[in-house]
Amino acid sequence: MKVELYNRICAAQKLSRRRMLQGSAALGAALAMPKVALADSHAKLRAEILKIPGVGAGSPTDADWQKVGEMVLGATKANVAEGEFKGVELTFMGLNNQNLHNFLFRGFLKPWEAYTGAKINWIDLAQADYNARLQQSIATGTVDFDIIEMGAPFEGDVLGKGLASEMPGWVRDQIDMNDYVDYLKAPVGTWDGKTYRVSIDGDCHTFSYRKDYYDNADMASAWATEGDGSAWAPPKTWEMVQKHSKFLAGKTDPLTGLEAYGFLDPLKGWGGFGFYFLEDRATPYAKHPGDPAWLFDPDTMKPRVNNPAFVQAIQDVMDLIATPNAYPADQINADPGTTAFQQFLAGTGGMLDWWGDVGSSARTSDTSVVGDVVGFDINPGSEKVWNSQTSSWENTPNQSPNMAYLGWGIYVMATVDSDTKKHKAAWSAAAHLGGKDIALWMSAYPSGFQPYRNSQFNYDEWEAAGYDRAYIEDYLGSNLESYNHPNAAIEPRIPGIFQYYSVAEDELAKGYAGQYKSAQETADAIAAAWEKITDQIGRESQIKLYKASLGI
Amino acid sequence: MTTEGDLLHTVTSERISALRRRAGRSLVWVTGLGFLAIALWQGLYSFQKVGWGFDTWRPVLFAYLVWATALCAAQVIVRGEAGKRTLFILPAVLFVVSLVVFPLLFGLYISFTDWNLASQDGMKPNGLDNLRQMWNDTFFWNALKNMIYYVLAVLVEYAIAFGLAVLLNAQIRGRKFFRVAFLLPLMLSPVAVSWMIGKSMMEIRFGPLARLARELGWDRPSFFGTPEMARFTIMAMDAWTFIPFMMIMLLAGLQALPKEVIEASKVDGATPWQSFREVIFPLMLPVSVTAIVIRIIFKLKLADIIINVTSGGPGGATDSVTSFIFREYRDRSNVGYGTLLAMVYLVLIVIFITLLLKFASRFLERPQ
Repeated sequence: MKVELYNRICAAQKLSRRRMLQGSAALGAALAMPKVALADSHAKLRAEILKIPGVGAGSPTDADWQKVGEMVLGATKANVAEGEFKGVELTFMGLNNQNLHNFLFRGFLKPWEAYTGAKINWIDLAQADYNARLQQSIATGTVDFDIIEMGAPFEGDVLGKGLASEMPGWVRDQIDMNDYVDYLKAPVGTWDGKTYRVSIDGDCHTFSYRKDYYDNADMASAWATEGDGSAWAPPKTWEMVQKHSKFLAGKTDPLTGLEAYGFLDPLKGWGGFGFYFLEDRATPYAKHPGDPAWLFDPDTMKPRVNNPAFVQAIQDVMDLIATPNAYPADQINADPGTTAFQQFLAGTGGMLDWWGDVGSSARTSDTSVVGDVVGFDINPGSEKVWNSQTSSWENTPNQSPNMAYLGWGIYVMATVDSDTKKHKAAWSAAAHLGGKDIALWMSAYPSGFQPYRNSQFNYDEWEAAGYDRAYIEDYLGSNLESYNHPNAAIEPRIPGIFQYYSVAEDELAKGYAGQYKSAQETADAIAAAWEKITDQIGRESQIKLYKASLGI
Repeated sequence: MTTEGDLLHTVTSERISALRRRAGRSLVWVTGLGFLAIALWQGLYSFQKVGWGFDTWRPVLFAYLVWATALCAAQVIVRGEAGKRTLFILPAVLFVVSLVVFPLLFGLYISFTDWNLASQDGMKPNGLDNLRQMWNDTFFWNALKNMIYYVLAVLVEYAIAFGLAVLLNAQIRGRKFFRVAFLLPLMLSPVAVSWMIGKSMMEIRFGPLARLARELGWDRPSFFGTPEMARFTIMAMDAWTFIPFMMIMLLAGLQALPKEVIEASKVDGATPWQSFREVIFPLMLPVSVTAIVIRIIFKLKLADIIINVTSGGPGGATDSVTSFIFREYRDRSNVGYGTLLAMVYLVLIVIFITLLLKFASRFLERPQ
């Protein structure tokens, strides 16, 4: 769980001593049930893990991380003899965001080091330096680390170049990969049919909306007059999002008494991450259930970003720009951070797509005023879907949640492959961090990671640990539905994917500022820029890697 | 022990044998040739012309360090006392060559390559392709055009800074307080300015500046909504940060003016405006030109506020060359093209500043 989120939850729940005792009592009661306690020692272990240090008992310290690392060591002990890796030294490269990530891993791995005899050296990087450091290491052939914490979008850069070590079968069993939510199963984490990734995190965009807009009688009667005859209810499709957004322009927000707005599109770039938000609008139109590809044509790497599906998404945004008061003033300078934290949570705007953080912060952030009036859903669908195979629209409803960024994972580099002992040691360390039980702790306490396993959505465990059940179900429900959606839009894990996003942001900014004549022209400019990047990186290799990433 | 000659300065005998000279020269040649041989071999290896070589270029660096050390030592071996004098400057020269000249030349080489860090094939020399790409790159020319606006804004900043400097030079109440208060923005990091002012105070719903604007009758304040407004706002934030810098330079200049000349003008019956226009302003020209030139150099590096507040938008209206290169190089890992843009910008800056200094040189001498 992200640290600010944890703090906010604790603050919001006002976890008093009494309430804490209630939670402990509930947990104790659960544990006291002889049937559970005796029959399932594993469940007991998980409950015990969740007590370190105890929800609301302050932020966990290095001692807590070590304790958790010690408690989950059972899986390692089943595969590794004590002292088996004596003399092995490994280098681990990861992040130091918010003093989490690598700091946690250090604590978790300390008992593992003591047991196995291996020693780990650490390379800590700030998020801003991460991409450049990784790319330079790869480009200059100076991979000086054995284990890396890495986001799935970089798999093309690393796995595609054969720089990572294939996961041994015993690791797969140790970490119970069948427990992963659907979208993190193959092909994510795999390349050419081989598995490389130990997941430790999950990511996707979900839809948040203001329930008070839809409970408001004045708005309902106005919609009855001005609307399309449909019921005044939270929109399920982008077509309805558009209609509601245009309708809401000029209305009054029932909560703040200020101007009401509909959907909040971030119109400014965000270092490549802003393109995910146009994807949210485009995926239901562009991701056909019968086709795993949606951003490029896998046979030619021809961009699909200028096909009618994406043009529709861009046009929708342009239509709202052209509608007076459909967006707050200065929306052209609003990035995703602004739309989420300065606008939606602060009571501006009726609808938003974002990662799980915002859905939960709505209830717990000190600056949020929408906690009691926010509802969640998966990414809106569409009433039609573009079939790239037949180059035609199909008038069938479609849904496709956007699995934006795919989350962090642990990867072992191929540098260890030549040394059997080092190879096993590196994979054992990775498996220790990606274990099922440690995952539960990481989602319940500040770690910087979101849930990524089905077992992490067992709400009884959360409630027993002291969390508010309604809150947790709200927070996790829309994520779970997105994660396991059969037509989820999975990010292409090709080399340089953020280069494509970054240049798209620049061209979109020009389009939104009216420097291109139409949505089609904007999309064509993006496609032309993407073609250049593909040619520069190497078209043939990109085709090969894209197909590999899609599992074709 | 000798008792004749220059006892104060001569600390070693100047009698250097031919053998010692030869040994010194040989040391330089042997280590130099060794360095060149290793560098050449490693170069051939990296271009796959020979079958084996080092994994990294580090041994070449070590060979260079050995040669550099030998070169320094040889100065003393070959030339004795005179060589020691050379040693005062030679390590610094080698240091500059290593860390400035070599990277510059290497950067020049990179700028004529197709090098995308995500590419499977690595760096590939591509002739003048990057220059051609730059020629057709509307983003680059747009950023360069914006730089003209940004640089022209320095004149307005100068006028404001001069006005403030004159005020602070006058006998006003609380002068010391205002001198410190006006300097405060300069002490802030532009990144802090970006967030505190650009992102918080100008936030359109709650930001105090937006509230003030509404109080003043601007119903829907928008500081970044149109290209012109966004560019103006960026200029204003940058000006707010750096006007104190110009102001303090001008204030120092004002305080150094000869009082008797100004008093003489008053005695001669000049009005305050005449005194300023005919005496103070001309006397201040050298300081003014220096302040403007330094400020322009600062301005040409403008990037942080833009990157943080507008990312160059809307539609490139606020992009500076540096912020564009930042996106091209960092976000898109386009090392070859990004380096070329930086090199071209460097050349443009050198030409511009040279012309500017030449033009300004006539003002740099105070009128007699």
